[in-house]
Amino acid sequence: MTHILTALRTELRGIFADRQVRLIILAALVIYALIYPFPYRAELLRDVPVVLVDLDRSTSSAELARRVTASEAVTLSYDAPDMIQATRLVQERRAYGVLVIPEGFERALLRGNQSPVALYGDASYFLMYQRVMQGAAVPLRQMGAEVEMGRLMAQGTAPDVALAQVSPAAQVEVPLFNPAAGYATYVLPAAFVLILQQTMLMGLALVATRRTQPRGHPVWRVLGRMGAWALVYAVLLPVYLIVLPAFYGLPNLGSNVAVLMLGLPFVLATGLLAQCVAAILRRAEVVQVVLLAVGLPFFFLSGFAWPVEAIPAHLEVIAQIIPSTPAIDGLVRVSQMGATLPDIQHRLWHLWGLVGVFICVALWLEKKQRFQ
Amino acid sequence: MLAVMLREFRLILRRPALAGLVVVLPVLMLLVLTGIFRAGIPTGMALVVVDLDRSDLSRTITRMLDAAPELRVSEQALSLTEARALIVAGEARGAVYLPQGLERDIMRGARPEIVTFYDNQHMSAGSMVARGARNAIDTVLAGLRLSVRQGQGEAPVQAMVSLQPIPLQAHALFNPAFDYVHFLLAALVPTLLQIIAAAATAYAISLDFGPGRHPQVLARMAGGVLPAMLGKILPYTLIFLLILGLSDIALYGWLGVPLRGSLLLMATGAVLFVLSVQLIGALAFVMTRDMGRAASIIAVITAPAFGFMGLGFPREAMSQLAQGWGAVIPGTWYVQLRIDQSLRATPLDISLWSVVWLGCIAAVLGILVLIRLLRLRHQIEAAA
Repeated sequence: MTHILTALRTELRGIFADRQVRLIILAALVIYALIYPFPYRAELLRDVPVVLVDLDRSTSSAELARRVTASEAVTLSYDAPDMIQATRLVQERRAYGVLVIPEGFERALLRGNQSPVALYGDASYFLMYQRVMQGAAVPLRQMGAEVEMGRLMAQGTAPDVALAQVSPAAQVEVPLFNPAAGYATYVLPAAFVLILQQTMLMGLALVATRRTQPRGHPVWRVLGRMGAWALVYAVLLPVYLIVLPAFYGLPNLGSNVAVLMLGLPFVLATGLLAQCVAAILRRAEVVQVVLLAVGLPFFFLSGFAWPVEAIPAHLEVIAQIIPSTPAIDGLVRVSQMGATLPDIQHRLWHLWGLVGVFICVALWLEKKQRFQ
Repeated sequence: MLAVMLREFRLILRRPALAGLVVVLPVLMLLVLTGIFRAGIPTGMALVVVDLDRSDLSRTITRMLDAAPELRVSEQALSLTEARALIVAGEARGAVYLPQGLERDIMRGARPEIVTFYDNQHMSAGSMVARGARNAIDTVLAGLRLSVRQGQGEAPVQAMVSLQPIPLQAHALFNPAFDYVHFLLAALVPTLLQIIAAAATAYAISLDFGPGRHPQVLARMAGGVLPAMLGKILPYTLIFLLILGLSDIALYGWLGVPLRGSLLLMATGAVLFVLSVQLIGALAFVMTRDMGRAASIIAVITAPAFGFMGLGFPREAMSQLAQGWGAVIPGTWYVQLRIDQSLRATPLDISLWSVVWLGCIAAVLGILVLIRLLRLRHQIEAAA
């Protein structure tokens, strides 16, 4: 027991007495937590600018333009005489789409023919493309349905029958969780988990590279350190995963107990992984550069921003070794989707499994060190 | 200066840690990123169907949903509660609710509701699931409308025309195949290289200018502190440009990302980008003269840089302050230049501005490093 306590105290001293480690673990909290969410504060994309190329200049084309502008997602903010000038506006990033109403639009409608319009979305920006397509498609579809209904009624069909014929069933789409499709709500809960992991890895690996001649049995040493991490992160983890999200106004549907239950194996697995990283890379400077570089790939490997379904199997296997993969999935489901512990128990077991594996590796590394 | 450069190359060969950081690490990480995005758009995302109708129509809809490439009907749930639980637990990404009496109500003209629920917390996957389900259900409904019109004696061709008075022809500007995946990859490469180049340059400089090292030896070898610093930096400029060039050959050659602009402008941009990123690393080190603190500064600038580039959430929608911060980071302009010159075929007079900005950033950083070095020179020469 005293050996465990000694190791615990040594580790705590290692964390708080070293200026650099303090800088990483505490200052990073402030800086990252302020800078990272910064681009996403606006949350929503409204009124994406689109260029209108109206070659018909008729009442119907003006009506169509009015309806598109009225939509929440897009607004027709420029008029261009032709596609060349419209494209230039998009290339200058002043607009993200072009709506072309061809000549003869109204005539074709009045004749009862098909009267197509063309919509060009700037496909180099995924989110903008989606907004432009979505925003313009809804009013267009609606106008099309009204035209079809009008024609049916002109043929003598009763209005309710015409409506049922134009649209036999109402399609309703209900977003579960993040109903407003806010970008911050989407990306921040996952990003906070990754930032927590990367700063913890970096700080604790630095402590490990600077350790001098440890005493006591390896088992007690490792247990003592795990106690120290649990103590430090009993304060820091709730700050990252409960206080900060609340500060940014993110929803919290889950129970904080579940967050802490997932947090414990996450902290232990990450701390143990830091020991392995330190043992492999040895030098503090190398540890920092490598951990900086792996942050972005780790985020995409976690299967959050980029769906797991699209990640190749062999990379998926590697991803399972990184604590952030099950932690991001589990914690996002708990806090943003209100999952209970039984819902995400496979993630919990996954994290404890990693703790078990990493303990064995860390012990083996400790033993090897002693014989050197 | 050449002597210092040659010595640096020998150093890289001799020191496995240095070679690992500037060659193995970036190449490995680029391979991982390529591996993640190579497979392309996700397919077979799990969808639950809550079929309370159990009619021919509801089975047709289920079949159609399963046939959509992005979807896979993983199971039937008996209630919405069950479907929701499956979504929360991560077993499914969405659910389609087909109410009781669906077929009968449609035939009667009572316009029943078909509801699609999707997991919008995982927004990228969720929106793809919603879109897939919408299209599949639309296809079934269009088939119904068509058969009604044909039943009324309309010719099939005429009936098709009547269904859509104002068809929307959707086109993807600049990216006709809508190959978003490789496009994202083309932007992630510089982001990653920005982190590694800044940190590795700082590390390399710390090996000679750090505490306990002897920069005066190097200064004597190069004939001054400035040439010594340049000799330290330039070998890595070559290495990172080589890595960037090779990954671009892979991207534009092997993966077939379109390249429709001026290669000269792209190359100029690449040189200025690598140099300014290295200067960030150099400045961070000469300011602090401590690798640990330098690494923290580099981390703060480069690690969150991806968000400020506006590839996910566009720059134009950010606050002025966030746009300003993004404008100071070299990667923002270089990624913009790459997109402009590879996909968008942007006219040179617009695209030139990105290069001008990169040049400005490099110049300002260069001047700052210079000022700092001039101060350090006295110390170093005094030590010699």
